[in-house]
This record gives sequence, C-alpha cells and structure tokens, in this order.
Amino acid sequence: MKTKTTKTILSAAAAAALAFTATAQAAEKLNIYCWSEYIPQDVIDDFAKETGIKVSVENYASNEEMLAKLGAGGGSFDIIQPSEYVVEALVKEKLLRPLDKKAIPNLKNIGPKFLNMPFDPGNKYSVPFMAGTVGIVVNTELVKEDIKSFSDVFKPANKGKIVVLDDAREIVSWALLSKGIPVNDVSDKNLEKAKGVLSDWIPLIKVYDSDSPKTALLNGDVAIGVVWCGEGAILLNENKKFRWVIPAEGTHLFIDSLAIPKTAKNFANAEKFMNYILQPEVSKKISEAFPYLNPNKEAVKLLTEEQRNNPASFPSKKDLGKMETFKDIGERGSVIEEIVTSLKVE
Amino acid sequence: MVFAFLYLPIALLVVFSFNSSKLNIRWEGFSTKWYEALLTNKVLITAFENSLLVALFTTLLSTLLGTIGAWMLHRYRFPYQRALALLIFIPMVMPEVLMGVSLLVLFVQFLNLPLGFTTLVISHTTFCFPFVLVGVQARLQGLDPFLEEAAMDLGATPLKAFWKVILPYLMPAIVSGALMSFTLSLDEYIVSVFTTGAQSQTLPLKVYGMAKVGLNPQLNALSAIFIAATVVVAIISHTLARRKTP
Amino acid sequence: MALPSAVSNTGGSDMHRRKPGLLAWLILLPLVAWLLLFVVAPTVMLIVVSFAERDALGRIVYEFNLQNYARAFDWVWLKVMLLSIWYALLTTILCMALGYPVAYFIGRAPERWRTTLLLLVMVPFWTSFLIRTYAWITILSKDGLLNALLVGSGILTEPLALLYTPFAIVLGLVYNFLPFMILPIYTSVEKLDNALIEAAYDLGAGPVRAFSQVIIPLTRPGIAAGAMLVFIPSIAMFAITTLMGGGSNPTIGEVIFKQFTSGRNQPFGAALGTLLLVIFLLALWLTNRQREERN
Repeated sequence: MKTKTTKTILSAAAAAALAFTATAQAAEKLNIYCWSEYIPQDVIDDFAKETGIKVSVENYASNEEMLAKLGAGGGSFDIIQPSEYVVEALVKEKLLRPLDKKAIPNLKNIGPKFLNMPFDPGNKYSVPFMAGTVGIVVNTELVKEDIKSFSDVFKPANKGKIVVLDDAREIVSWALLSKGIPVNDVSDKNLEKAKGVLSDWIPLIKVYDSDSPKTALLNGDVAIGVVWCGEGAILLNENKKFRWVIPAEGTHLFIDSLAIPKTAKNFANAEKFMNYILQPEVSKKISEAFPYLNPNKEAVKLLTEEQRNNPASFPSKKDLGKMETFKDIGERGSVIEEIVTSLKVE
Repeated sequence: MVFAFLYLPIALLVVFSFNSSKLNIRWEGFSTKWYEALLTNKVLITAFENSLLVALFTTLLSTLLGTIGAWMLHRYRFPYQRALALLIFIPMVMPEVLMGVSLLVLFVQFLNLPLGFTTLVISHTTFCFPFVLVGVQARLQGLDPFLEEAAMDLGATPLKAFWKVILPYLMPAIVSGALMSFTLSLDEYIVSVFTTGAQSQTLPLKVYGMAKVGLNPQLNALSAIFIAATVVVAIISHTLARRKTP
Repeated sequence: MALPSAVSNTGGSDMHRRKPGLLAWLILLPLVAWLLLFVVAPTVMLIVVSFAERDALGRIVYEFNLQNYARAFDWVWLKVMLLSIWYALLTTILCMALGYPVAYFIGRAPERWRTTLLLLVMVPFWTSFLIRTYAWITILSKDGLLNALLVGSGILTEPLALLYTPFAIVLGLVYNFLPFMILPIYTSVEKLDNALIEAAYDLGAGPVRAFSQVIIPLTRPGIAAGAMLVFIPSIAMFAITTLMGGGSNPTIGEVIFKQFTSGRNQPFGAALGTLLLVIFLLALWLTNRQREERN
C-alpha cells in the first residue's frame, strides 16, 4: 500500500516536472538497434547523461539482418536505422510508427533536398541520419587513363585491377545505368540487358568487398574501386594519389534514416533521441567520425573548409542531380542475387 | 614451424597495437594511445566480459553434454542409436545463418524465451557440443572394455568406475573438447546476431561492421592483453604443477 | 574421406555393450532432449520453410509448393556446392599434413607440458576472427610484408599476387581450422602405448614402417575425428573465403547467407540449406553402411 502511494506521488511529480522541462525519470529507457560504428559512442553517452535515459544499444551489419530479426519478432527496439528502400518497405507493411513532429523541432535543420523523399513523403515515419553515394576511386599512380564513368572502369585493360561493393543490387544498378535504364526499373527485360553487360564486366573484377574496399586499394592489390563515398573520403584523406569520380551515367544516393518500429515501448524517448541527434553540434560530431554526406545543413556549416571540400563526402549540386535513391524491389532481390552468383561461377 | 605459422598474424597484431596510425596497414610510429583509450572504452570491455561469460558457460555445458553423451552412446545400445548419432552432426553442417534464424524463431515464437544471455548460451552450446562428443568418441574407440569390468569386479559401482577409471582416461579428450568449445563460442558472430538481446552484446557483434571505418586498433590492444594474460597464467600454472610433481 | 567415428563405433566391442536400464535412459535424457529441442526442431522448421513462400519483406508465407527445389536443382548452385566441398577437402588434407606432426609432438611430450602446449595451440584463436584475417591480408597483399621480404631479399623481382587467389582462401581456411585437427589427433597419440612402438622396432621395423604400420593405424580414430571436425564446418564457412579470396569464387555458405539476407528469400535459402544437409547426411549414412557390411 505504501509503495503504491509513493509511486502515485512520484509519477505525479514526474508528470509535473515533465510539463515544465524535459528532465527524465530514472527508470526511462531507450533501446537502439543500429549499424555498428555509425553512431559515435560519445554521442550516445552524452545523450544518456543529458536526459538521464538509460540507453542500450544493439548492433547489426546489414539492413537485412535487421529485417530478419524484426520480422521474426526478436527484440524490443525503440529506434532502428534503416536505409531508404527499407523505410519504404517497412512503411508499406505498416511496421513503423508515425512520428510526432512536435517532439522533433530540429527536423528543420535538415536540408530540403533530403526531406519529403519518395520513400517517405512528408517524412511521416523517418528522419534522415546520414546520406551518401556510390562512386569511383582511382589510384592515379597506377591508372593513367581519365576515368569518368562505369564504362571507363569496366574495360578489358583494367582486368584484375578492380574492387567493387559485394552487393548484387548495386552491381546490377551500374549495369542498368550504363544502358540508360533507371536503377529501380528491374523488369525481367531490363535484367536480361543488365546480365548481358555484366557478363563482360564480372570477369574483370578482382575483389568484392562491402565492408572495407579501401584495404585492397591501400595495399596496392587493385587500382580502381567502385565504393561507398565514406570509403572514398577516407582514402582521399589518406593519400593524394586517390581521385574521386562521380560516374557520368549517374549513381545511387542512399539515405540512412532513423525510424520507430510500431512495437516500440519507449517511443517518446526515441523521438527525444532523434531530436537530440539533429542538433547541429551533435550532427557535426557524427560527421567528423564518419565522413558521409551530412543532410543536416546547419551541421555542415560548422565543419571545416577542408571537410566540406572533400568531394567524396559532399558532391556538387550538379552531380547530386544525377543521383537516384533505391526503391524497394521486394522479392526481385533474390533473382538479382542469382544473376550475379551465376556470372561469378561461370 | 607450425607454431610460427600459428603465431605470425598474432605477432603482427601485437606490433600494430603499438602503431600510432588508425589504419592497420602501415607502421607510423610507436604509441600506447590505443591501450589508454581501451581502458576507458566501457562498451568494448563490457562486450568482452560478456563474450568470456558466454564462452565459459557454453564450454561447461557442451563438455558435460558431449562427454556424457559420448559415454552413454558407447556403453549402451539404445534403440534408434544410429539416427541419434547422425543428428549430432546437423549443427556442424548447417550454415550458421539457417541455424541462427531457426533458433530465433524457436525462442521467440515457440518457447517464449526473452533473447539474451540464456538464449545465447543455448545456441552456442548447440553447435559446440558435437565437437566435444566427436572428440571423446574417438578416444573411446579402442578403450579396453575390460577396464571398467575389472574396476567393477573390484567392487566399484558403475558410477564409481566411471569416475575413477573412465573419466581420467577420457581427460585429454575432454580438455581438447573444452578448448574447442571455448574458442568457437568466443568468436561466433552470425548465430549470435539472431539469438541475443541488447544486454548480452558480445565482442564479435561490436567488431563486425567496424571494418567500414577501419578496425579499431583498440581491438589489437585488447587481443594483445588477453593473449599475454593467458600465456602468463599458463606459464604460472605450469611451473606450479611442476613444483608439485618433482 | 576418413570414416566418421560417431556412427561407426560398432566394431568388436559390441558384445560388451549393454541394454540400457532406466538409469541409463535418465542420464541420456538431457542429450536427447537437447537434440530434439534445439537440433531437430529447428531442422524441421527449416525443412517446412523450404517448401513455403515469402512476401515482399521476406516474411514467410505458409503456402507450400516445390518451387524452391525446382530452382535449387540448377547447375549454378551445384557448381557452388562442388567448389565449396573441394576447398573443404583441400583444407582437410593440408590440416592433416600440418597438424599430425604437431599433435604427435605434443602427445609425446612430457606429461606436464601437454596441457600447456595445447593451450598454446588454441590461444591465437582467442582473438577476433576479423583481426586475424586482416593481419593475414596485411601479410599477403601486394605491398605487404611477405612480398616486401621476397623482393627486398632479391628472391623475386616483382611482387606476387598472393591475396585474392584460391591459394589465399585455402591458407585462410587451414589457418583457422588447424587446431580442430591437432586436438583430436593429440588425444589419440596421447594414449599410444610405448611398448607397442618399441615392439615394432624390436621386430626390425624402421621408423617409417613403425610409423605407417603401427602408429598411424593406432591413431586412426583421432585422425578420423579431426577430419570430421575440419571438413564439415569448412564446407559452409564463408567469411574467410570472401575476405581472403576476394569473393569472386562464391561458396555455398555465402550464397545461402545472401539469399537469406539481401535476396530476402528465406525459403529459397532454406531449400539450398536442406539440400546441403540431405547430401551430407546421405553420404555419412552410406559410408557407414558400407563399413558395416565390410565388418
């Protein structure tokens, strides 16, 4: 009886406190399910210190791992970090909780280019975290030709000198682009065309690596890479001999977002976390740790000139115009995997 | 020679733990900063503790299951014994991702177990104990069947005969099996992704995906410390054992 | 392939085996329960899923047909499977060649040294697999240590392409599985009777004959167990093969993983996995029967 009274008093007091300030109670929790090494630990620690919320973090290494675990009903997560096409799929399947925009005023810091995207019109369910592109890195000491496009990369002269992302959807999208087909148009007819292109390209590739393609480039085992821009930015900082090229055919623009699963218990805290991360000073810290394309325009202003001029992190307006985001292609993914696998073993 | 082969990458790892560069590729100068950073990195240390704890429990359980299982299958003739013996190999052949996802579904939808330490130990034990069992069975082959009988003729109960005669005979296989289980559990990633919860994040879960920004050199430091500590403990226990048996 | 010891220890000691009493059943119960709950149940689920369909998000839809199997019986997947088995076989043979002398040495060492030496074999593997593999990458790459050594000492004029080749794949597999060969062989060597070896010498056998006709046959159970523990898990292993081989030779583990994840096709992945299981268990069962017939 006594504890019950104390509880009532406490919660009343807490509610009162909440009405004035955003101070949190000791028992508040937040379960984050995110990519490993994408949200710096000190950002999470600072958030916990500032709000008093107890944060626990679980990591995954690919969108699909997260989907598989979420799909099987494993874990109780309050915030997840899906890429754009996964947001689209999750919205379609009604697995996300609509955001309370009033709780996330800092959404205004995001550049208009990254808001209201086709995968989540009006940002009803997701907040952009980081964006990026796929591009070409050239070791200019080893490759003298001027490389401007995917077709320049995949030439017989470059056989055995190429590293690409180990990602069937990406590889197929480059082949589609080289034929002038939009990346999301994966009909059987178009895939057949892509297969034709890839049967010439795939034998030229030496290494497939999505996690750290920079290793093969830095070690001199290959001379050209088609990689994530974050990898490119690290390479450019490491050595002047590397050059970053946005393919003339266009390329993939990815947007990793934050979203709240429908099953989340601590959704209010999740929104608090989103709002926290959207502060320019916090977002700047993330940019410094992971040199991707930061959609937070206020945070970009805080970066040094050198950071802003890294062409891999921040492509020109003109190049950005050529880029497309991925749409969810559902079950087509399996066929795309099969095409790439069959060409690899031939 | 073979020991040199085994320790070559480890030597490199120790060298790189003192490298001042963040990328593990070139030597750029001596530094102990990764060791300093490691001491304050709570996430990494907690994950490491979790890994050790899971590996210890897994080792204990799989050694028990594997040893007792091997002995019983050797000693008695159970109906469907051959089928039973085949089943033991399934966890060894089954690709990790299939095992991880089916165990996840089993835990969440059928057994209603919350994901965490328990589910992690269960799934690790499932793929570790066959290693113990197969090893112990190999040792049992060629065991003199009269050994146990002789002990029993001298008045020992079956339990006592097992304890006093068979178990000491099996010890080398049990130790090997335990070492294998511990090693397998310590480094498991894919099965762990699917079967653990936020409270029991192990080291591999933190390490994977790190390659994107360059493997954190603190990991080299952590491995170096752990290996050094193990070797020191081994040497101490070795010399102690020697003193006892002059 | 060496014979699996677990299914074949029905040799001469058969007559000493007993019918189990109630107590024996009770002691076996935990193992049986564990197998049923955590091995049989997931396997059954896997097989059920392999006949099912899935929706756009990759969630399973329980409508059953043979579509996944129709697709799985394709030359592409068979080729991948054969390649994986080939790598596993090479790995097993090399591990045997490298591991046997080490195991023999440890098994014959003074008793107080044995556990320490075993521990020393295992300790390198108490580091993260990724760290070990990246260390190997640093050693084998074009600008890496080995090439620097070979070119610097004048043995070679041009650096060799070692990394991202089948050589690197097998090296990575051998490195990571070697302990699983050494340990079981060690347990067989450890129980060797010195008197038997001496008897062989006394009967005029040279070291080679003593080794091939006495020591090898006596340690066969350990060799067989080691072969199992290396061969079986290395078939489905893929992280090493992708990192060290560059990923242009996909293995069955990798293909299944990708169908499961980026392919979002769990049923198809499950069908490939079931096929692997069936092929494997069938091979095991046949070897076992053949052996029994011979006895």
